[in-house]
Amino acid sequence: MSTPVNALASRIAEDFAAATAAGGRGLDTRRRALRELQAAGLPGTRDENWKYANLRGLERLRFVPAPAGATAIAEGALPAALPGFSRQVFVDGRYAPALSGAAPGGVFAPLAVTAAPPGSLTLGPDQRFALLNEAFATDGALVRVPARASARLELIFLATAEAASGSSYPRLSVEVADGAHLELIERHVSAASLGSFVNGSAQLHLARGAQVRHYRLQELSARSRAFDTLGAALDQDASYRLHAIGVGGAASRSTVAVRLQGERAAVTLAQVLLGARQQVQDCFALFDHAAPRTQSEQLFRGIAASRARVAFNGKVVVAPGAAGADSRQSLRGLLAGPEAEIDVRPQLEIYTDAVRCSHGATTGKLDEQMLFYLLSRGLSRDTAQRLLKWAFLEDAVSGIELPELRRQVELALAAALEDETLKELL
Amino acid sequence: MSTAKEILLQVQDLQVSVEGRKILNGLNLTVAAGEVHAIMGPNGSGKSTLANVLAGHPGYEVTAGSVTFRGENLLELAPEARARAGVFLGFQYPVEIPGVNNVYLLKAAVNAARKARGLEEVDAFDFLGMVREKMKIMRMDDSFLSRGVNEGFSGGEKKRNEILQMLVLEPALAILDETDSGLDIDALKIVAAGVNTLRSPERACVLVTHYQRLLDHVVPDVVHVLVRGRIARSGDKALALELERRGYDWVAGEAA
Repeated sequence: MSTPVNALASRIAEDFAAATAAGGRGLDTRRRALRELQAAGLPGTRDENWKYANLRGLERLRFVPAPAGATAIAEGALPAALPGFSRQVFVDGRYAPALSGAAPGGVFAPLAVTAAPPGSLTLGPDQRFALLNEAFATDGALVRVPARASARLELIFLATAEAASGSSYPRLSVEVADGAHLELIERHVSAASLGSFVNGSAQLHLARGAQVRHYRLQELSARSRAFDTLGAALDQDASYRLHAIGVGGAASRSTVAVRLQGERAAVTLAQVLLGARQQVQDCFALFDHAAPRTQSEQLFRGIAASRARVAFNGKVVVAPGAAGADSRQSLRGLLAGPEAEIDVRPQLEIYTDAVRCSHGATTGKLDEQMLFYLLSRGLSRDTAQRLLKWAFLEDAVSGIELPELRRQVELALAAALEDETLKELL
Repeated sequence: MSTAKEILLQVQDLQVSVEGRKILNGLNLTVAAGEVHAIMGPNGSGKSTLANVLAGHPGYEVTAGSVTFRGENLLELAPEARARAGVFLGFQYPVEIPGVNNVYLLKAAVNAARKARGLEEVDAFDFLGMVREKMKIMRMDDSFLSRGVNEGFSGGEKKRNEILQMLVLEPALAILDETDSGLDIDALKIVAAGVNTLRSPERACVLVTHYQRLLDHVVPDVVHVLVRGRIARSGDKALALELERRGYDWVAGEAA
């Protein structure tokens, strides 16, 4: 058998055998994940929700985890620290205590030393890369916020390995108990201009009345490939705000599934994706309203420049029992290059009456009226276009409530837009 | 009108089409420094087309004629170059640009003009002080400074913002396209005060308007009536009053 899919499956099986030859913790869980993955298979581009992702050449990867500790880490590879946040650093998915700050007591632990590593949430059919992560990851971050407590945590996942030597499996498991608050920053960065393969997984459970603000930044090097899968389950009155910014990598795919399983649970996703050069940036977000009076909002702003391809597929399902659900989608894509491609797709499946759903999806070029207005004030065409791109992203960035983080995000966006002049705005 | 005054704008036999339809049909207009001209006319006569063509809007095709500004061919200049040379268009329908800050736009606009003249950038602190002074004239409060361009502004606020931009940019030639439309009497007086602030022997203003009530507050030196794409009649302030009394049909009938 020589179809690419089977080549991929046997590659994964071989690498799994190599990775687990010496035994290790949690092997049963990992073997089960592998079996589930083998049964489901990794997605292909003929899968409806994967047609914009770059899935080519996966069978040529080395799935074994990147070797530990070979690379000395320059401090400069890490972003500037944020005041008030405990920073914990992972190198190629493994906890790096030497680079980490003091852990807030009882809130954070590396997964490698916990007694029973939590398994995957099963949230829909698109968790397959999460299974791949679960099969190969040997470490990760375990975050537990006790009832009515609050915590601020910054997790940095640093990729330092070339894909040829092994893969990086950032892993994050978050449990926020009743009435607890968590501000979580999750950043994926590269140590150098390497071509890493990074396949991350994040699982969150928000108990009754829990509140989480989650900032996810994907700023990997230009040659890296990144897959990540996030699953979140929200109990009654829980509130989850996810700000996701994707600028890095040669190709990235982010899969988000949020289940609103308790009454009045609420989720907001503000997603920014920027593509330049020949980058592929793809996101699929599924929100599942499974309880009454649940609320969701998806805000997407994507810019595709040069020959980049940027896609956002936002799906909202309102189950029969979810009366009074309220869902909003505002999805906008901006074409900033003659050979760029942008695909913005809202999907709505409603199985009950008495819901409020509004969605708007647009793709296009810069607004000619706005452009002429700025030109008529003497701004150069170049400056005017840059300003309008900036303005286009504003909605999705303005919700970042931490000023220092927002400044860092804006600088990252300005760099991705190759925009020096914008920095004077910041 | 003294012949010694500098001619700022000279429009000769201007013919303009939009999507193949001829809108301006041999228009002539000469505006000298120090003058305020009012261009009046019925809907569809070409008033806004004239304003937009002078500012360089890309949706209009000039098929014949010439326009010079201070003796230079204005039609050859890109919109941004016209602005830097001192031509300002006050829009009839100013766009909202959420995410672009009002003050940032003002500063970028002033610095673009200064750069074109070989001057260095304005000092940010002095600049803000200057903007606040002009905001007082336009009765705009401080919240304006932190808002996006025209973002969530009422119609009247947008028009006042146009005049504020004009006061900050100090253009040699301001073309105000129906800046008075949609204003209540108080807002009209504020806008008129702004326009009068900039009146000087070196500058000129072209007021495009449908009604003569703005002209009670900004008294024009010359009034033109535009009918079917050309100037059918010119006169002084009395012409505006007569139009108000007799209606545009009176001139349109004569021009036919």
